Amino acid sequence: MIGTADYLTLSALLFIIGVIGVAVRRNTIVVFMCIELMLNAVNLSFVALSRQLGNLDGQIAVFFVMVVAAAEAAVGLAIILSVFRAVQSVETSDSSELRG
Amino acid sequence: MTIFFYIVALLAILAAVGVVASPQPLYSCFCLIVNMLLLSLLFAGLEAHFLAAAQVIVYAGAIMVLVVFVIMLLSLHGEERKPIPTLLGIFVALSAIGFLSLILHPLRQEFASLAGRRSGVDPAIVGDVRTLGTMLYTQYLFPFEAASVLLLAAIVGAVVLAKKKPHAFPPGERK
Repeated sequence: MIGTADYLTLSALLFIIGVIGVAVRRNTIVVFMCIELMLNAVNLSFVALSRQLGNLDGQIAVFFVMVVAAAEAAVGLAIILSVFRAVQSVETSDSSELRG
Repeated sequence: MTIFFYIVALLAILAAVGVVASPQPLYSCFCLIVNMLLLSLLFAGLEAHFLAAAQVIVYAGAIMVLVVFVIMLLSLHGEERKPIPTLLGIFVALSAIGFLSLILHPLRQEFASLAGRRSGVDPAIVGDVRTLGTMLYTQYLFPFEAASVLLLAAIVGAVVLAKKKPHAFPPGERK
């Protein structure tokens, strides 16, 4: 029988893979996709705990996470586009002109 | 059911590793789509039917199409492999191991007793469209409307950010 702990374990593993991706990769779009991966991992643990606790508030929270992720995708990709226009690159190390 | 969960979990972890490790951004994107579809299978297994559908439509459909569109628009190819700095690698590995041991050990102990208790499916907590829609339009009406304002602001922000500004950066001045 699959319990809540198994779902939460999978969620933690997916989350930490996303964190490693954000820390290691230089491509801004890949970093963005790793953030989406982390959001998905959190969604999985929301749904698993909603099932465990027997109420649906967790699933409503997942719905709002999806809304915020959609808004984040639109704005984030627009920022990536406009940075690409300015520096002709999506590498994080190439857009470091604001560093003091 | 058990073997189904383990197959889906293994494939989801492999797809997540593919997102991080593949050299081409487009391959990462396809791995992420596979990961999202597998997670929607898990949602369906957890009786969250509405979220399983929304995961496919909103995440794998809308958001990832937007990402693919941007990758194609910028015509990104693989980046050259730069070695990860040793200090960063050590730091990331240590924090990953620390996070996992902090999370997993108490998880295993706490939920080992809880897992057997609720074995049958409670029909009251099936997340179908009718139940979630009723909750959204009664108990969560204000956050729902606020989310629509957030989406509107995101649309306006995306248009403003991505619009070409003819006078902001004259082409000869930069670089």
